[in-house]
This record gives sequence, C-alpha cells and structure tokens, in this order.
Amino acid sequence: MIVMAVDTLTFALVTVVYLLMVICLGYLGYRKTRGHDDYMVAGRKIHPVVLALSYGATFISTSAIIGFGGAAAQLGMGLMWLTVLCIGVGVLIAFVIFGKRTRRIGQRVSAVTFPDLIGKCYGSPFLQTFTGILIVVGMPLYTAAILIGGAQFITSTLQIPYDTALLAFAAVVALYVVIGGLIAVMYTDALQGAIMLVGMTALLVLTYTLLGGVINAHAALDALSGQVPSALAAAGMTGWASMPELGSPIWYTLITTLVLGVGIGVLAQPQLAVRFMTVKDSRALNRAVLVGGPFILMMTGVAFTVGPLTNVYFYQTEGVIALQAATNGNIDTIIPNYINTAMPDLFVIVFMLALLAAAMSTLSSLFHTMGTSLGYDIWRHTRREKPSMRTIQLATIAMIVVSVLLAYVMPGSIIARATAMFMGLGAAAFLPAYVQALFSERPSLRAAKYSMVTGAVVWFVWTAFIHVKESAVLGLAELLFGAESLLPMPWPVIDPLVIALPLSAAALGVGWLVDRNLAPAPGSTDAS
Amino acid sequence: MLGITDPAIWFAYVLAIGLTLACILYGLLNWNIGLDDSHGS
Repeated sequence: MIVMAVDTLTFALVTVVYLLMVICLGYLGYRKTRGHDDYMVAGRKIHPVVLALSYGATFISTSAIIGFGGAAAQLGMGLMWLTVLCIGVGVLIAFVIFGKRTRRIGQRVSAVTFPDLIGKCYGSPFLQTFTGILIVVGMPLYTAAILIGGAQFITSTLQIPYDTALLAFAAVVALYVVIGGLIAVMYTDALQGAIMLVGMTALLVLTYTLLGGVINAHAALDALSGQVPSALAAAGMTGWASMPELGSPIWYTLITTLVLGVGIGVLAQPQLAVRFMTVKDSRALNRAVLVGGPFILMMTGVAFTVGPLTNVYFYQTEGVIALQAATNGNIDTIIPNYINTAMPDLFVIVFMLALLAAAMSTLSSLFHTMGTSLGYDIWRHTRREKPSMRTIQLATIAMIVVSVLLAYVMPGSIIARATAMFMGLGAAAFLPAYVQALFSERPSLRAAKYSMVTGAVVWFVWTAFIHVKESAVLGLAELLFGAESLLPMPWPVIDPLVIALPLSAAALGVGWLVDRNLAPAPGSTDAS
Repeated sequence: MLGITDPAIWFAYVLAIGLTLACILYGLLNWNIGLDDSHGS
C-alpha cells in the first residue's frame, strides 16, 4: 500500500485538473472518430511524437516503475539488462523491423486490429478468432493487476474507500476509451507519457543530488555488498551493483523472467503492435524512434538505477537496506517509501501524478485491445457479420466489467507476476506466427496454427505446473499432484517463456516442413 | 566506471545509453525517409 506524505487536498486539486485535461482529450478523440478506422487504428494518421509517447506509456505501467523498481531495489542493477532489451528490442527492432512491415501490410490488407492482421495475412478466420480468444482470456489478468495497483494507489493518496477508488478509476478510463476509441486513447497516452517523463527525470536528478553525485552514489552502493541478506546471498546475490552468480536461482529469475520475459515479450504485444498501424507512412515510424528510445531509457533506466540506490539512502539514514525499509517486506512499497521520506513535497505530487498517468495509459490500451478483440475479431466470425461501432463499444464495456470483477477476486500474490505473465503468453503464442506473417512471402497457415496452439498450451502447462512462482499461487499442481512444482531445480525458476517460445518456434518449423511435403506446388498457402 | 566495478553492470549502462543514442541518430538520419510508402506495397 502506497502512503502519501503530502497534503491530500493539494494532490486532489492537481488530480482534478489532470482529469479535466484527460476528459478534454477524450472528447477530442470522440469528435475525430467517424468510423471503424478511426475507432480502431486512429484513422492511420497519428503524429509520430504521439505514437512514440503512446507506445512508451502503454508499455510502461505503474507496476513497471513501482514493481520492477522495487525488484531492482531487492536484486540490484542487473535489471539494467532489461533496459538494454527494452530499447534494443522494444524500440529499435520493434519500430524499424516489425513496425514498418506491420504498418505496410496492415494498410494493404486493411487490418484494424492485431488479430485482424494475423487472420488476413494467413487468410484464416480461425487464426483471427483464436488470437482474439487468447487476448480476451489472457489479458483480463494483466488488466485486473493494473486496476488493483491503480485503485490501491488512489485509496491511499486520496483517502477514499478501495471499492470507490476501483470503480471510479475504471469508470473514468472506460469513459474515454468507449466513446473516443484509439484516438482518445493515444492522445491521453501522450499527455500521460509527458507527465511520466517529467516525474522520472526529476526522480533521477534528485536522487543523485541527495546521494552526493553519480560516482559517490554508485561507490556507496558497491560498498554495501556486505549487507546482502544471507538468504539472498545463498541464492546467488553478490551485491546491488554487481550481477548475481551465473546459474544461481536469482540469476535465473533475473535473466529469464525479468529480462527475457519482458524484453522479448514486448515484440508480440497486441496492444503495442496495433499502434504501428496508426501512422500513415514509414517516415512517422522513423521519427517516432527518436522519441521512443530516450523515453524508454528514462522510464526503465531510471527505475532500475534509483531502485538499487534506495539501499544507500535507507542505509545512510536508517541503517537498514531497502528490503528492510519496505512495509511488511513488500518490495512494491520500496519506491513509494523512498519518495515519501527522501523527496520534497512538490516532487511527491509530481511523482504520484506520474504513477496515476502510467496506470491510466496502460489500462486504456488494454481496455481498447480487449474490446476490439471481442467486438470485432471474435464477433465477426461467430456471428458472420461485420460488427457496428456500437457492438464494439458494448464489447469494450463487457471486457471492462469482466476486468473489474476479476480485480475483486484475483489473489494479491499473483499481481506482481501479471505483467511478465502476459508478456510471456503473448510472445509464446503470437511471436513466431507474427514473424512468419510479416517476413514470409508465402506464410504457412498450418505452421502458424501449430505454433500458436503449441505456444499457448506449453506456456499454460509450464505456468500452472512447473514455474513455482505462479504454480504455487494457482494451486493446480498441488491439487492434482500434491507438489507446487513437478520438476527439480533449476526448472521451477525458469520462466515459461524460455520453454514455450522455442517450442512454439519449433512447431512453426514442423508445420512448415509438413506443408512443404504435402503441398510442394507454389501458391499453396492454406493447408487447413 | 562511474563508481561501478562489475563490468557486467557498467556494460549494460553503456549499451542502454548507446542504443538510445542509436535511436536518436536513426530518427535524425531518416527524418524525411519513408514518405512515399503511405499506400502500402
């Protein structure tokens, strides 16, 4: 739980002004929305800076700042490798290689959603529907986690009941997503991204100033390695300014879940991929790269630098490391506790606003992606008619209601895992088929089907029965086999993505070979 | 480097900042490229 140290009334006033700006931008989106293309791909004429900020603000949620910042406070600067992947893969490769082809092909086949793009590339209603179903089933978990995080934050900062906070938070975001579609979502994302940029820049500068400069701060952190708790040291941790021991449990967690899970998973996120189809040409994508790279550096890089440095602050002021300064040992409280105790009041307000913006920008995009998947991709093939905008809006409302209900029943212990979990599912199920759709002259439908089904099934089995952080919470392995994980170390600490993605890619290869042997004649793309 | 002794950490910082500069450079060098493909191909 995040506890505010500044005047509630001041923060409430700032929040009201911010919400008025968000509602105005939502209304602007509503006024500009005249048809399906506007509602689903923002009319394919979004400004590059808006695209870059929207992409970044959607990618980076509150949990990325608070949760991963807290994880960095616990595990150290090794998380900077996630920043490397977020910029190298999440911006450069995503925009330059995936983005340009996604935009070009999406425009050529008139795709308006990620499942629509996949379905049209393969000429397969099944793949469009299957992709839509995976989104509608898998994404509410991630959405509910963002909702819970946002509601907890509003509860503690504005001193209002949790249920009221949850419903009000969902209602405000729902309002502009439902009426204004993707134009409203991306305009508000851009405002929210700008606020996040101000907040994180100030956080970095103030932290280094507080700790006596860059070199002094880093040297003090390096010198703290003797304070690593014995349990963490036994699991491979060597300090906060050094990597954990190669092959240790902490090394596996750091590299496979946090770094690869999110860093690779970002490529096949439907809510991010659809943004490449919102600009009119490749020039806009080229220009967006210029803004996207620095934005992601300032989000993740600052969180993963300031997180570990909170150890220096808490050690110098209270004689404890960050983990001991966390409320009830919850690492999600480390960054808020640090902000509240170390930062000036004005900055606390700026940072809290940045957190609210981060939650809203991610939430709005997830609402929109789930709504269009249900109302457009699934509806058009189950009802065999092109849905009206009203249908898509109603489907969006339905998915919002499902997410809110899930937020009430989801176990608290799974929340911190939800971001990496959905990124993992997305990569395992979609990435190989998405790559083939973009880069193959004659993509094999059989291969795509094999890959998507294998990726989704293996990811689920590994999550439910092997990867102990999820399987212990889900309880299926315990119920059926009497153990939290069915395999010995190190398998229970290896992320599902690391297993499911290679198998999904292998299934794609098998399907392609089968197709080639069955139908060697050129021009055959549909093997179903 | 800059108070960090483990090369695996400071190399991550060098790469992160280097990739960010590559993004800026890419955007600037390709500022006006790609204008003619707005109708798909």
